[in-house]
Amino acid sequence: MVSVELKNITKKYGGTTAVDDVSLEIGRGELFFLLGPSGCGKTTILRMVAGFVTPDSGEVLFDARDVSKIPPHGRNVGMVFQTYALFPHMTVEQNIGYGLRFRKIESSEKKKRVVELLDRTRLTGLGGRLPSQLSGGQQQRVALARALVIQPDVLLLDEPLSNLDTRLRVEMREEIRRIHNEFGVTALYVTHDQEEALSLAHRVAIMRDGVIVQSGAPSDIYMRPRNEFVARFVGDSNILPAKAARRDGRPGLETPAGWLPSSSGPPRNGTVFVSVRPENVSLCQPIPGAANAKISSVTFLGSAIKAELALEDGTAITALFPGTANGVLWKSGDIVGVRLEVDDAVVLE
Amino acid sequence: MPSSSSERPNATTWLAVLAIAAFFVFSMAFPVLYMVKKAFLSDGRLSLSFFKLLFSNEIMTESIVNSLLLAVCVTGITAAIGFSLAWLMSRTDMPAKGLWGNLFLAPLILPPFVGAIGVKFVFGRFGMINSLLIQAGLLNPRSPIDWLGAPFWGVVILEVLHLFPIMYLNIMGSFALVDPSIEEAARGLGARGARLFRTIMLPLLAPGFFAGASIVFIWAFTDLGTPLLFEYTSVAPVQIFNSLQATKENLMGYSLVVVVLAMTAVLFAVSKFAFGGRRVDMPAFGRTSGTIARLGIPLKILICLLLAVFVALSIVPHVSVALVSLSKEWFMTVLPEKWTFGYYGKVFTHPMSYVSIKNSIAFSSAAVAVVLIMGVAIAWILARKKFRGQWVLDICAMLPLAVPGVVLAFGYVQGFFGTALDPRINPAPLLVISYSVRRLPLVVRALYAGFQQTGVVLEEAAASLGAPALTVLRTITFPLIRANLLGAAILAFAFSMLEVSDSLILAMEDRFYPITKAIYMLLGRLGDGGMIASAMGILGVVLLAAALVTAQKLLGRRMGDLFRT
Repeated sequence: MVSVELKNITKKYGGTTAVDDVSLEIGRGELFFLLGPSGCGKTTILRMVAGFVTPDSGEVLFDARDVSKIPPHGRNVGMVFQTYALFPHMTVEQNIGYGLRFRKIESSEKKKRVVELLDRTRLTGLGGRLPSQLSGGQQQRVALARALVIQPDVLLLDEPLSNLDTRLRVEMREEIRRIHNEFGVTALYVTHDQEEALSLAHRVAIMRDGVIVQSGAPSDIYMRPRNEFVARFVGDSNILPAKAARRDGRPGLETPAGWLPSSSGPPRNGTVFVSVRPENVSLCQPIPGAANAKISSVTFLGSAIKAELALEDGTAITALFPGTANGVLWKSGDIVGVRLEVDDAVVLE
Repeated sequence: MPSSSSERPNATTWLAVLAIAAFFVFSMAFPVLYMVKKAFLSDGRLSLSFFKLLFSNEIMTESIVNSLLLAVCVTGITAAIGFSLAWLMSRTDMPAKGLWGNLFLAPLILPPFVGAIGVKFVFGRFGMINSLLIQAGLLNPRSPIDWLGAPFWGVVILEVLHLFPIMYLNIMGSFALVDPSIEEAARGLGARGARLFRTIMLPLLAPGFFAGASIVFIWAFTDLGTPLLFEYTSVAPVQIFNSLQATKENLMGYSLVVVVLAMTAVLFAVSKFAFGGRRVDMPAFGRTSGTIARLGIPLKILICLLLAVFVALSIVPHVSVALVSLSKEWFMTVLPEKWTFGYYGKVFTHPMSYVSIKNSIAFSSAAVAVVLIMGVAIAWILARKKFRGQWVLDICAMLPLAVPGVVLAFGYVQGFFGTALDPRINPAPLLVISYSVRRLPLVVRALYAGFQQTGVVLEEAAASLGAPALTVLRTITFPLIRANLLGAAILAFAFSMLEVSDSLILAMEDRFYPITKAIYMLLGRLGDGGMIASAMGILGVVLLAAALVTAQKLLGRRMGDLFRT
């Protein structure tokens, strides 16, 4: 197991810059996520760590050792591909054992390791099958086992769950968490699915147009998105214009939906924008003199209810609240009072 | 997906490119340039005198004109047949399409060189047709008709019968590309009949048509074996062949070869570049869920009858070769009077045929080895690497389609004169080289398809698990493209066994004869020579048939693509 560090990595393809001066560090044993829309450069970074892509400038370091010149087969990196890339002409056992052929290990030990991996990825009994005889979830496990059996210094996962249906995806998410905990390997995981990233990651980096926009623990990123892109990409968000104001002597921000306390003191002059999560918007009976809104639609989501509202000045805002019986109280057309339940305003850059 | 660093050429790539370049320089550039130099240099100075000589020589100009006419006729007739068959198969509700589809491809296994033997027995002065007419009292036995008095048409017919499947495959491929809804849209806008065909169908079909037409044209223009068997000497390939038989170096030969080469090269370039960018992936044959002409039952019966007659006629030459090979006595009768399998035994005991089979197997096996190594290297670089100037490699790989066998063999004989490779001393190395060069386009295409199909991600997976590049090829790529490798090897072997022009020209002594040269020489001998030659021809057809069926199984419908430019 190693730590991974990227230092000022840049990669251009023709005129377009896929990765623009990116630096990041992944600690030993950390499960690090790169999250972003397609084409943001996250896969290019993963492939640079694997050695399939050489950066135009910058360094890739494993435990402070520069590996930029080492070809993929010399890096001891386990990779799980989006399409699994299982060798169709080999059995499950042969697939898992493939990487051990290139390591100086006694053949009895090799067998032992393959059996152990089959067991730990819950594939016992399927060793003799061909990949075509396995379900999607099983193929996914073989891909994981094949990458882990070589005891990689780094495990790379490239959108590993995107080919599974929703239910299986949630199941495999738990499986990956369990396996990562068990093996404790340094891992870089690339996805465009924010739920996957938020639920699994130790740390996440959000990417856009070849640049890391924000990185940190999932809860930090969710609670304090740095800009509108992050606020909207990670979860839903109401972006509201705001102006510095004071209420009861405390500093805060005035928005069309009401007043927000702000610990960061009065913002720069002029209008700023704040992010308010829909679950922090609550509805009540209309209050004279406060922010009121008209409900334009109510959507029942099962565990929650989502309401789309129009504030008096026309600003649209979304509220999300538990789907309890009294939640159904509201219907579209109703005039309601809006309260922002925020301890500290999230001011966007 | 942007190109990754693994697509960038490394030292291994450049080494492979270097080896490929050396192969091309040795096998193609050197002989071609040698001929061009000889044709344009007179007493050390640039001169067109040999061309003046060539075009003022009546026999030579007549030969070139005849060859062109031959090629035009063959191309025109095969195009008419190809269009009709493709239209019937893809745009009508004709019955038994699967059966017809297979029957139309059958002539691919019938080399005209072999068919010509049969035609001589059937249409000869004392052949089957005349005997039939004499028996029926329609012909005076003392003045039989010389059916082969017009060898031009004999050659045309044999070549048409062999080549129409190539035209059919190419046009069929284009028909499959034209979405029936495009046709319907044009109809909806008011286009009909000839106008619809001219404005919509023709532009869409043109690339496939020209791809097939250029192969057929070059084939007919430069075919040596068929006219030679018909003793039809006033065509360019036979003149080239004869110029080599002369004891004194015939300098006009160079200018003739250069003229032929220039014509094929221009044609190849036109078909390649005029439509090069228009190739699209071909969907499965028979996807004809659009406008389908409903044929009435009488019309269906008529068409099927016509097709049956056509198919039957197309195998007449080869059936007659089979008859010759089985006949103990056959003179002035419709069918042989006595039958025997004896000549098939003699194929393996007669010194000339036996040695030639041994030679051909050795030459062809060696050629397969060479062409597979070259083909793997080229196809791998084309499919997996990206660098400037890569298109040159692509062109080089297809170039043997533009440089006819006669021309190349002529270049070998002259260019390597007096060197260690002089075919007059031992033609084996040059025969192997020429066989492999001729099969290179086919092999590259088959392997390129395999590499593309396998996809790069499996190779990356193997590399990430620790496998070095060559191990990836050995354990992942090759096992997965095994079908393509095997299919290409089998086809290359079978076609090499029956390669005509190079064999006739390069092998000059009995002990080096390959099969086709032995057939040619045996035919010229009295006694049982013709029967043994026929038996060899039939064995060749069986080999080719087995090879094509196996390759079809291995390569699937991609087979059709191998016969396109």
